[in-house]
Amino acid sequence: MSENPQSIDVPSSCSSESDTNERPETENGTVYSHDSGYENECCPASPITVPSLRPRLNSVNKPRRQRTTSTSQNTIRANEAIIRCNQRTIYTAGRPPWYNTQGQQVEPFVIGICGGSASGKTTVAQKIIESLDVPWVTLLSMDCFYKILNHKQHEAAERNEYNFDHPDSFDFSLMIDVLKKLKEGRKVEVPVYNFVTHSREIHTKTMYGANVIIFEGILTFHSAEVLEMLDMKIFVDTDADIRLARRLKRDISQRGRDLGGVLKQYSTMVKPSYSNYIAPTMQHADIIVPRGGENIIAIQLIVQHVNTQLQLRGFKVREHLAHSEMLDLPMPSSLFLLPETPQIKGLHTFIRNANTSRDEFIFYSNRLIRLVLEYALSLMPFKNVAIETPQAISYDGKRMASNRICGVSILRAGETMEQAVSEVCKNIRIGKILIQTNQSTGEPELYYLRLPKDIKDYRVILMDATVATGAAAIMAIRVLLDHDVPEENILLVSLLMAEIGVHSIAYAFPKVQIVTSAVDPEINDKFYVIPGIGNFGDRYFGTEPNSEY
Amino acid sequence: MTRSSEDNMNNVAEEINKMEVDYGKNFKIIPPNDQIKELQTILRDKNTSRSDFKFYADRLIRLVIEESLNQLPYSDCSVITPTGAIYDGLKYRSGNCGVSIVRSGEAMEKGLRECCRSIRIGKILVESDADTHEAKVVYARFPEDISKRQVLLMYPIMSTGNTVVQAVNVLKEHGVSEQCIILSNLFCTPVATQMIINHFPEMKILTSELHVIAPNHFGQKYFGTD
Repeated sequence: MSENPQSIDVPSSCSSESDTNERPETENGTVYSHDSGYENECCPASPITVPSLRPRLNSVNKPRRQRTTSTSQNTIRANEAIIRCNQRTIYTAGRPPWYNTQGQQVEPFVIGICGGSASGKTTVAQKIIESLDVPWVTLLSMDCFYKILNHKQHEAAERNEYNFDHPDSFDFSLMIDVLKKLKEGRKVEVPVYNFVTHSREIHTKTMYGANVIIFEGILTFHSAEVLEMLDMKIFVDTDADIRLARRLKRDISQRGRDLGGVLKQYSTMVKPSYSNYIAPTMQHADIIVPRGGENIIAIQLIVQHVNTQLQLRGFKVREHLAHSEMLDLPMPSSLFLLPETPQIKGLHTFIRNANTSRDEFIFYSNRLIRLVLEYALSLMPFKNVAIETPQAISYDGKRMASNRICGVSILRAGETMEQAVSEVCKNIRIGKILIQTNQSTGEPELYYLRLPKDIKDYRVILMDATVATGAAAIMAIRVLLDHDVPEENILLVSLLMAEIGVHSIAYAFPKVQIVTSAVDPEINDKFYVIPGIGNFGDRYFGTEPNSEY
Repeated sequence: MTRSSEDNMNNVAEEINKMEVDYGKNFKIIPPNDQIKELQTILRDKNTSRSDFKFYADRLIRLVIEESLNQLPYSDCSVITPTGAIYDGLKYRSGNCGVSIVRSGEAMEKGLRECCRSIRIGKILVESDADTHEAKVVYARFPEDISKRQVLLMYPIMSTGNTVVQAVNVLKEHGVSEQCIILSNLFCTPVATQMIINHFPEMKILTSELHVIAPNHFGQKYFGTD
């Protein structure tokens, strides 16, 4: 069933939202389709990070301000990402790697879609998303970049006299900044525009990386800087009469406006703007799509081209990592292996033994985790201090140079280390990243992340119980880097690693400190460490299938 | 204490700490690192709150206990992992027990329990005579077969070593041989170390810091009776 991931919709977002922007989660640890959070926004065309999806007919019947802008409404659905079979839950599509085996960012492919009001830009965007075989697409609308109106302009807008179709009504410098960051794969805060108050909402939408970014709007080709960032430029050229007809229909029947007002706005602002600012940019287009979304052949051609481009950039990260030839190299200097004491070996003997009961497995794992974390903390930077003692002598001691430490666990096995990290660091903040292996491709995929605010200012203890190829760890480190955490501030902590994983991580991120209690020589064809522990998460949480190895 | 005498004391302390005295193979300090130094710093700092004190004391205790367990005897043991491969590990022998010296030694019982869930724990109460300052055992209760066991003797602070000497004497009276005792300790002074080694050359001693001044406020601050 996982052979056809396209038939299944997936969680829409890997955005790391701010904590003030809570969205419901299920308690039982399964991430179900967590969407619909977008419906309640004032800006319906707000940026949405979507995997490949079918568009949803906009059926939200909430009272809205009559929109006088020429942008479109679209909300995209994301639902079930989960298949159940034989009592196993399979996740069908998260975000596949967006970097190469060296952990370097691969630039996303940016498609710009331009066209007049009601020309069908969004339909074209949605058809492209639907047909693309890429689960991670970000759709960004120009609507988000409307300028904040002052009182006078606000009143003019109420009278339908503010020209939303003029280039001056957009904040181009912000737009360029956001696009640039997205293109670099960084996390960005995209404003959410409120069409009632004509200002930006306090909360922003966090968007984070994509394989394909689609940027649509009436003036996407207006700025030379934006044009430069677009890898493909599409102009949707729909006949002016049809556009007017659509606008009339939409504004009158759906938004309850009167014919005179719509026509007035069209003739005084929409039409002149089209002729003056939009139509002339058609010359920048790589491809002009007449008739908009109905033009299936044009869309197919576009999709074909994008797919070819993506294949040129694509990578099979884990398989490549598993077979890379770095085994003869000496262990990297960024590896910090706990000194092998009899206790540590004794603990390993317990948890590696297939016949150890879960009760004992958990107990001895927790002991080992504690030791690994204590050791990891000793690698933090310290400063010398002199303190006063109750014995009235001063004492030359040490304190940690900074108390800004946070933990980030890679779900699920990394979560087993959360308790221990809070036992050694008082009140530590803990973030989570969910990475699952795609059963059909064997590639790691990113599903969910939630990180402390300002994580860039923290030293991060990244936790995963075992590391085989290092594919998941590399993805998690990449996520942290994309959130502006400096590489040297990341400490990867695990109980057991395979040699190859150590090499791959150290090669990709030489400044990341790697801490573990044992390094095993091999991995098997299912990417398990040999001799290993087995599936640590399954054994700890008691979810082992009957035969996995 | 005047400023100059305090400085003087600091200098003496430093000098004594610099002296490299060989206390023999049975005396071990847990491998030092910055993290452990931080724990010791917090415990010695007079401005540390009680809740912090307990938190960091428990962490240091846990580390010392883990290291003490390394001194116990073990034998090779190979196991089969879930992937079907063989792992050459090791196995600890059963027949260990803990003995804490009341009261501050009891602070270490939790750390021991966290590592060995069902270990037997005996207790010894040693009190100093108010007039003569002589240490006297007033209470002792051990597992019956203690003479056959390895004993982890727990006492966090040693400044003179008198208390520990009395406690070990009681253990020996119960048939425990010196070689089978491991003393777990957080802070000890060179004086105490020398005294104990003179009395019991075969006993293993493990500590986290050797320093001329011991943080004697430990028990009171840990239990909140200061």
